[in-house]
Amino acid sequence: MTEIGLGHYLSLSAIIFTIGIIGIFLNRRNVIIILMSIELILLAVNINLVSFSIYLQDLVGQIFTMFILTVAAAEAAVGLAIIVIYYKNKGSINVEQISSLKG
Amino acid sequence: MEYAILLLPLISSVISGFFGKKIGDKYCMLLASILVGVSAILSLIIFYKVLTEDYFVNSLIFNWISSGSFSVNWSIYIDPLTSVMLVVVTLISTIIHFYSIGYMSHDPHKPRFIAYLSLFTFAMLTLVTADNFLQLFFGWEGVGLCSYLLIGFWYKKPSANAAAIKAFLVNRVGDFGFAIGIFLIFFFYGTVNYDEVFQQTPLLIQKEIIFLGIKFNLITLVCLLLFIGAMGKSAQIFLHTWLPDAMEGPTPVSALIHAATMVTAGVFLVIRCSPIFEYSQIALNVVTVVGMTTAFFAATVALVQNDIKKIVAYSTCSQLGYMFLAAGIGAYNVAIFHLFTHAFFKALLFLGSGCVIHSFNEQQDIRSMGGVWKKIPYTYTLMIIGTLALTGFPLLSGYYSKDAIIEFAYLKGNSIGLYGAYIGIFTALLTSIYSWRLIFKTFHGKYNNKESNISSIKESSLIMLIPSCLLAIGAIFSGITFKEIFIGPNSSEFWGSSILFLNVIQYDHPPLWFTSITPVIVILAIPISYYIFVENEKILKNFKEKNQFLYNFLLRKWYFDELYNFIFVEPIKKIGFFFWRKGDINTIDRYGPDGLSKLVKNISDKAVNFQSGHLYHYAFVMLLGLSVLLTYLILY
Amino acid sequence: MIAHSLFFYLFSTIATFSAVMVTISRNTVYSVFFLILVFVSISVLFIMIGAEFLGMIMLIVYVGAVAVLFLFVVMMLNVTEQPIKNIKKKAIINNKSVGLIVGLIIFLELLVALGGWKYKDTFTPLSSINPDLNITNTHALGNVLYTDYIHLFQISGMILLVAMIGAITLTFKRRENIKRQDYFQQIQRTKETSVSLVEVESDKGVKIDD
Repeated sequence: MTEIGLGHYLSLSAIIFTIGIIGIFLNRRNVIIILMSIELILLAVNINLVSFSIYLQDLVGQIFTMFILTVAAAEAAVGLAIIVIYYKNKGSINVEQISSLKG
Repeated sequence: MEYAILLLPLISSVISGFFGKKIGDKYCMLLASILVGVSAILSLIIFYKVLTEDYFVNSLIFNWISSGSFSVNWSIYIDPLTSVMLVVVTLISTIIHFYSIGYMSHDPHKPRFIAYLSLFTFAMLTLVTADNFLQLFFGWEGVGLCSYLLIGFWYKKPSANAAAIKAFLVNRVGDFGFAIGIFLIFFFYGTVNYDEVFQQTPLLIQKEIIFLGIKFNLITLVCLLLFIGAMGKSAQIFLHTWLPDAMEGPTPVSALIHAATMVTAGVFLVIRCSPIFEYSQIALNVVTVVGMTTAFFAATVALVQNDIKKIVAYSTCSQLGYMFLAAGIGAYNVAIFHLFTHAFFKALLFLGSGCVIHSFNEQQDIRSMGGVWKKIPYTYTLMIIGTLALTGFPLLSGYYSKDAIIEFAYLKGNSIGLYGAYIGIFTALLTSIYSWRLIFKTFHGKYNNKESNISSIKESSLIMLIPSCLLAIGAIFSGITFKEIFIGPNSSEFWGSSILFLNVIQYDHPPLWFTSITPVIVILAIPISYYIFVENEKILKNFKEKNQFLYNFLLRKWYFDELYNFIFVEPIKKIGFFFWRKGDINTIDRYGPDGLSKLVKNISDKAVNFQSGHLYHYAFVMLLGLSVLLTYLILY
Repeated sequence: MIAHSLFFYLFSTIATFSAVMVTISRNTVYSVFFLILVFVSISVLFIMIGAEFLGMIMLIVYVGAVAVLFLFVVMMLNVTEQPIKNIKKKAIINNKSVGLIVGLIIFLELLVALGGWKYKDTFTPLSSINPDLNITNTHALGNVLYTDYIHLFQISGMILLVAMIGAITLTFKRRENIKRQDYFQQIQRTKETSVSLVEVESDKGVKIDD
């Protein structure tokens, strides 16, 4: 247990990934929590990639992680913009009330 | 020429049926009547030919079925028996066609009526000109169908519809027996053509078969089954219930179908199959017993009926019993002779009743008539002639035919024959009583009609009277004219091979006291009934009150309808209802269309919940799918 | 080594705990703060295992930009503290327990998938770029990024541009009722449309029609 190997990092990544996924559908509050859970998921993937890159002495993982970072930032920006507009139109971002797809 | 006889009514039916509206009612009816009239003239010519030069022909129209060894043709088979029937059918049909022009003048559906009448004529002609059982059966069913169509002609009346269905169903029971008989014939003879069947019959008289677990002589069984068909068609006892209800149809229908032609098809069948019947004494005895029972039964019921047409209907039933009585004792020619004369005077009686009903503005109950013999003298005369002929008043046609039946029954010698003779005499008494009751209640006594004034009773139009006059001529003269030819000592020359007499009938005369019983009774019945029904009605009332049960028994037709209702109709209705409710609705519909639609609706109602609109539900479902996919990939 | 494992456990525990708190804390601002904590601890982990460039970038981009953006939006939107609503208990229990179970399943499957790889004997990477171990991580990354992966680099720049345009398009609202300059219209003025000579009579004035 004292020897930290690849497996530990991978399990950490799995734990954070799972927490992010659970966070998407177990929250009853607002949409921003969903976006934050998505960031957690992407973070878990990043951990995965970096740990593999270091373990295999291969820089591809880190390159890819940079791109993921970029995309995550872009997506967070656009997502938040959407939330802002939605709030302006509907007046609330309570997840329970977003059900116009009903039927 | 034979083709024309058969085809002209068919053509007239088709034209009236399909083009009646275009031609117009009057021309349609006139055209149909003329076509059938031509057919009648041709039949008279053929009859004359058969009479004088032994004309015989079996002309093939086309080969209907030819399958393996089974070969059936459409053909026109003319022999003496057929020629007599042709004359009867076409002549009466023509007269009825002309009569209906007047009787149905107020009806909006004249072309349909005429089409059905002509179609019936065609079917009946097919029946009598058949040379094999299958074509006979076709005509049999055809007349049954036309009877249904014509009884239910006024289809808006529910009672008419019910009566039509009843007629068809009861006929069906008879047809069932008839069909089984034909099947047996085919199975054992290998053919259904008359000639071959009649030739092979003497070879099969010892054959015994097991039918439904009982051992039968083949010939007896076949004859019994064929007779069941005849019972259904000719309204003999047990299968008679449809005939009085068939009076729901218009009067010309009753005259044509239920007096002269369709109901005589059963008699024709027995006589045509005389070569088979002659070899089975049991079947002949059955025929005789059924015939005389029917005659007696129908006469008793007719005594107390109040509807004018029902009285005449039961009278028909009774006279048909006489014909079967004659056939059963082996005197087939007498049966045909009675059929011949009966057609005339019964049709006359029906047409006269039609005139009476017309004059009384559609009133049919004789208790609401009376006292009009001076107002409608022609109708009165015609009805008197018909009644005289029916009761067997000396010198008129009924006398020769009916008394011949009684004489031959007496001459037969065995107990059944004697029994038949005495029942026949008693029934003749009953016949005259109810016939004169009809006349006196309708035309004499007080005027009892509550609805219309006595001054509004008018004579019927000429178009209705003239055909009836023609029938009256037939009723008076047909007996004395054809007696020698049909039932005289040399009549076998005329009949030739169309009727088989295994035991030659004696043509002696029974003792004088016997032959004079009937005419005396009949003549005496006139003043007696006049006294009872017109002068002193109290006697009748007292009698009725003292014997209420007997009166009801007779009025309700010996409770046959109630019995059949209890035994057959109610259980079958219950079974049908059960199958409809449980089988159809609960089982098939529930698991079939209804069930499926409900199932689809339920499933889709539940499936709607998937589309909640909430994002996290969708994400959850995606997650589930993802985990399933992962599991699958990991495990395999 | 012990220090390594100790630090690893410490920071991974902090990260996990904070991740859980992100989802279940009732105040949204607290959620954002916990998110920042997650990022920071993970960044420390990255630095620990030798990918210091990425760790720093994460700190700068994620914490400095994305999390701050979250905070801004949270504050702007006036997200109120949600009370615990007693919606149908049955539904909550049902949903949460099923959700947790499914989450557990996913976690185990991930472990199985990745663990199964771990015990594989042979492994040939698709493309390996072995870093020169004498240069810093940043240097090594720079060597590769601008040469072999230049296309991807440019494309990611494009993605950022598109995201920016998208965000602006979504939220940009042109205000009505304020005066602006429309210089195209200004340039297009001609003498005929703007100036006219009028003969003025004395004491009469000029009628200017607009």
